[in-house]
Amino acid sequence: MIPEHDAIVDVLIDLLTKALDRPQAMSADTALIADLGLESIQVIEYLCEVEDRFDLAIDEDTLADVHTVGDLATVVHHLLNR
Amino acid sequence: MSLLEKFTTAAATRALLTSLPVNPTDVVIEAVLSATEAMVRGRPTIMAGTNNYLGLTFDPACIAAGQQALAQSGTGTTGSRMANGTYQAHLDLEAELAAFYEQPHAMVFSTGYAANLGSLAALLGAGDAVLLDAEAHASLFDGCRMSGADIFRFKHNDPDGLAKRLRRLGERARDALIVVEGLYSIRGDCAPLREYADIKAEFGAYLFVDEAHSLGVYGAGGRGLVEEAGILDEVDFVVGTFSKSLGSIGGFCVSRHAELALFRYASRPYIFTASPCPSVVATTREALRHVRERPELREQLWTNARRLYAALAALNLELGPHVSPVIGISFAERELALGCWQSLLDAGIYTNLILPPAAPDGGSLIRISVTAAHTPEQIDRIISAFESTIRQHTAGCAA
Repeated sequence: MIPEHDAIVDVLIDLLTKALDRPQAMSADTALIADLGLESIQVIEYLCEVEDRFDLAIDEDTLADVHTVGDLATVVHHLLNR
Repeated sequence: MSLLEKFTTAAATRALLTSLPVNPTDVVIEAVLSATEAMVRGRPTIMAGTNNYLGLTFDPACIAAGQQALAQSGTGTTGSRMANGTYQAHLDLEAELAAFYEQPHAMVFSTGYAANLGSLAALLGAGDAVLLDAEAHASLFDGCRMSGADIFRFKHNDPDGLAKRLRRLGERARDALIVVEGLYSIRGDCAPLREYADIKAEFGAYLFVDEAHSLGVYGAGGRGLVEEAGILDEVDFVVGTFSKSLGSIGGFCVSRHAELALFRYASRPYIFTASPCPSVVATTREALRHVRERPELREQLWTNARRLYAALAALNLELGPHVSPVIGISFAERELALGCWQSLLDAGIYTNLILPPAAPDGGSLIRISVTAAHTPEQIDRIISAFESTIRQHTAGCAA
């Protein structure tokens, strides 16, 4: 069964919490770079974790408009439904 | 955001860097004294942060070859390889590179950056899938981006992660291109090329390896990590640069695929730029001869590399995982890396300081590189300067 958008957001936040290794309040509106200060390599490694968790292949172009956790959840949801 | 407003971030970065006692991005080499020494800030300084691995920049035969070509063929070609810029020497260099790598085809570019950009942009196109190591050089990323292919990243030096991603691509994996480096230039760690070649064979994909920092350094014949890993007859494309071990400037791609010859008609970074000037081609050819015929240069390089790595490891510094001529030292704090780098420079040792976001893991590093031309006394001085520096900045410096 394909998870709903909100459930995907929860998983993405869980993975982000592990990646950051520090306590941080997050929501669907949290910006990956502007709010969390992730460096580009950290973003790549985080996305690899996301791909593995959902068994997806996410190409870089798909991420052009992704700024927030919610944006990323939308991409994941779309790919899972494809 | 207006056209010029976007430079606000760059201006802030510059302000930060110029506020430091020495701006690490603006160190001026006032005079070059030898392959291993230069005048920096008015004093002789040991260069331990170059890519001059075999120390050939001042080799008398390389200099003589360049001087002769300069006198015979002039200062530049003034044209593209597709127009008036193909001299016999360019073809000779391509033939020598093909023979050196035991590949049927070779192509020379004007820089190493152009070699990656030009090869990838010609090879890939919209709808193709490329799998790119997370820490791959910017020129590899830019080439993939320029091609319009779908880019899939995998974690650095992670063959399992690569295989997982190929599996997810299904049928597309059969034509996918795997893009990696041999020796990574910041931490000095090596790619698991043997495993990558096996994965490529399993999925029917293609393998593209950038050997910029490995040429002349690895392999019994100096042909890089592709030789050391025993995959010369399996790899599809090998690219490299002349601006490191060969001490000049330019780049190349060699391949067993006849289509490489067609890159000349499809590669914009090859077509729309002037070809390498005659003196550069001449010094490159001479340096390549030294790589082929003087294995003692590699032996000396490795003697220096092993000695320096062991000495730095004994200081409990956090080093890269592999002994190599490039040693990346990770620091927990940016200020600590900066302080150590400045102290080393004050002690007459030039190294490379790598601060976020340039460092692979978002941390701060000091990168040291050794060359075959460093004398035992110079290695002693580098080690001694490090010992003093680490003592001076003790807290937090240890791994």
